[in-house]
Amino acid sequence: MKKCNIRKSDMALNGITYLASLLCELILLSVFVFTFSKGSSLINWDLLKNDYWSKNYIVESSADHNTASQYEKPDDLSHEAYFSRRWGIALVDHVSHEKEKQVLIEYIDPKSPFASVVDGSAGQNKGKELNLQVGMRLEKIDFEDQNGTAGITGTILSENAETVVKNLDQTAETLTSAYVKTAGGGIRGSIIATGYLILVSLLIALPIGIAAAIYLNEYATKNRVNQLIRTGIEMLTGVPSIIYGLMGVTVLFPITKAFGATTTNVLLGGITMSIILLPTIIRATEEALLVVPQNLRDASLALGANQSQTIFKIILPCAVPGILSGVLLSIGRVIGESAALIYTMGTFISDAPTLLTQGTSMAVHIWSIMSGEQPNFELASAISIILLIFVFLLNIGVKWISRRLQKEWH
Amino acid sequence: METIFKVENLNLYYGAKQALKSLNLDIRKHHVTALIGPSGCGKSTFLRCLNRMNDLIEGCRIEGKVMMDNENIFDRQVNVVELRTKVGMVFQKPNPFPMSIFDNIAYGPRCQGIKNKKLLSEIVERSLKQAALWDEVHDRLHESAMALSGGQQQRLCIARTIAMEPEVILMDEPTSALDPIATAKIEELIEELKQEYTIVIVTHSMQQASRVSDDTAFFLLGEIVEFNTTQDIFQNPADKRTEDYITGRFG
Repeated sequence: MKKCNIRKSDMALNGITYLASLLCELILLSVFVFTFSKGSSLINWDLLKNDYWSKNYIVESSADHNTASQYEKPDDLSHEAYFSRRWGIALVDHVSHEKEKQVLIEYIDPKSPFASVVDGSAGQNKGKELNLQVGMRLEKIDFEDQNGTAGITGTILSENAETVVKNLDQTAETLTSAYVKTAGGGIRGSIIATGYLILVSLLIALPIGIAAAIYLNEYATKNRVNQLIRTGIEMLTGVPSIIYGLMGVTVLFPITKAFGATTTNVLLGGITMSIILLPTIIRATEEALLVVPQNLRDASLALGANQSQTIFKIILPCAVPGILSGVLLSIGRVIGESAALIYTMGTFISDAPTLLTQGTSMAVHIWSIMSGEQPNFELASAISIILLIFVFLLNIGVKWISRRLQKEWH
Repeated sequence: METIFKVENLNLYYGAKQALKSLNLDIRKHHVTALIGPSGCGKSTFLRCLNRMNDLIEGCRIEGKVMMDNENIFDRQVNVVELRTKVGMVFQKPNPFPMSIFDNIAYGPRCQGIKNKKLLSEIVERSLKQAALWDEVHDRLHESAMALSGGQQQRLCIARTIAMEPEVILMDEPTSALDPIATAKIEELIEELKQEYTIVIVTHSMQQASRVSDDTAFFLLGEIVEFNTTQDIFQNPADKRTEDYITGRFG
C-alpha cells in the first residue's frame, strides 16, 4: 500500500518535470511560429537594402521628348503587369505592408518619354536628369490629351495599374509631369546603426572588460576591497537596462557633446551599451581564464617568466576562445537591447545613421513602428525574424567555440 | 666535493600546519639527488622550495635557509625570476604550451629579451639535441607541441628547461605519467644531463631512484629520515624506517 503511494508521488513529480520542459519547448516553438507566420511574407532582399522613408519626386518630361509613339512589349514581362504600348511603360498593382494599394513601375522602355524625365522638385537638382527606377511607386501622372486639355491619372484617384495604363493609352498625348515615390519600408539604416552600435560598444567594453577580468583573476589577492569590486561587478548584471539608459542620457551625454553631438546619438547608445556589456565580458573572460590549467602558469613561471609575461603570452592566448564566446554573447545582447537605447539613441528611424546623429537599432526599429498610431505587425515580425536568426546563429557560434575549448584541454 | 644547495634548518608551514620540519642537507653539484618517501611526506614541497614555486601558494611560510652561491635564496634582495632561470623545473604531467615546438623552447629565452632569430634557432636546436628529441621533431618544429606523444612532450619540457641554461633541474616525478619505454628514455637522458647540470628528482619508484641517482634522501612526515649516497641507502640503510620503506613493507 505504502509502496504504491511512493510510486504515485514519483510519477507525479516526474510528470511535472516533463510538462515543464514540454512547456518551454512549446513556448520557443510558438515564438518562431508567431513571428514567421506574421512576418515571413515580408522577408526579402528589398527589406534589408531599402531605406525606411520613401522619397518623393516630381518629375517633368523633357520638352523635346514628351509625346506618345509605339513601343514593343518585352517578352519577359510578368503576367500581372500592364504594359502601355504608346508610352513604353509597364505598371503593376501592389499592396504594401501598411495595407496601402500602390502602383509600382515594373518596366520602362529605354526610348520612352518616362526614361528621359528631369527632376521637377524645387531645389538645386531642379532640371537635372533623374532616372525612374523599377519598383518606384507611381502616384500621379499629369498629361494633356489631343485637344490640349490637362488630365491626371494615378493612385491618388484610387486608380489601379490597369486603369492608369488604359488612361495613358487612350487619352494621353503629351506627358507633362509625374509624381513618384521610392519604395521605402526597408531597414537598411537600422542595420547600419546596429553595426555601429556593436562596433562602438565592443571597442570600449572589450579592453576594459578583459583587463578587469585579468586583474580580478590573476593579480588580485583575496582581500575585502577586491571582494567588494567583484560583488559590485556582479551587481552590475542585475541593474535594469532602462536605468543605464537614463544614466546614459544624463551622465554620458556630455561626452558625446564634446564630439559635437547635438541630440541623442548612436555613439551615446554605444557607450551606454558598453557599460551594460562589461559584466558579461568580465564574467566570460574570468571563466575562460579559470579553465586555463594551473600547470601552464607553473611551467611559465618556472622558466623564469614574470607574472605579466605569463599572463599575456600564455594565459591570455589560451583564453581567447572563451573571450570570443563572451563577445558573441555581447553582440546578442546589443542587438536585443531596446530600453536603454530608446533614451540614448532616440527612436527616429534614420536611413543614413552616423555616430553623432540619431538612429535606431533593429530592436528599437521594431519599437518605433509599433508605437505609432498604426502599429505595423508584419514589418515588426519580419525584423523579429531577422533578429531571431541572428541570435540563433550567435548561439550556435558560442556552443561551437565552447566545445572546441573543452576539446583543447581534455 | 662541490655543493650547490646547502639547506639549513628549513621549516615550512601551510597556515598552521607544518609541512617541512628542520631539514638539513647538502645537494652536490653535477650529481643526481633523489627524494623518496610516501605520498604527502613533503618531498615535492621541498623541491618547490628550491626555485621558490611555493611563493605562489597563499598562506605558505618558510623559515630557515637554502644557500646557493653563498646567498640565501629566500632573501629579500634575491630576484625570484632570476633564481628560476638558474633553477629550472620539470613537472609531473607534461605541460607544453599550446604553441609550436619551436615557440615552446624559445619561450624562456624570449622572456629574457632574446629576439635574434638565428640565436633562438641555435638555442632550440641545441636544447632539443641535448634532450634527445631533435631527431624525432627536427622536421616539424613549427607544428603544435600538443600533437607529440606523452614521452616526447616530457622531453620537450626538459628541452625547454635546458634552453634557459640553468644550473639545476628540478624534476617532480617526471615519469609518473609515462609508459616504461618513455620512462627509460627519460632516465637515459638524466644520466646524460648530469654531466652539465645538477638534478634533483622526486620519485615514487624505488628502482628509478636506485637506477638514476647518486644521493638519496628519504622523507617521512615532513622530516628527512635519512640522507646518504644511493648505494648506502639501498644497501645498508641506517634507519629501520628507511629499510622498511625501500623493501616495500609500508608506503
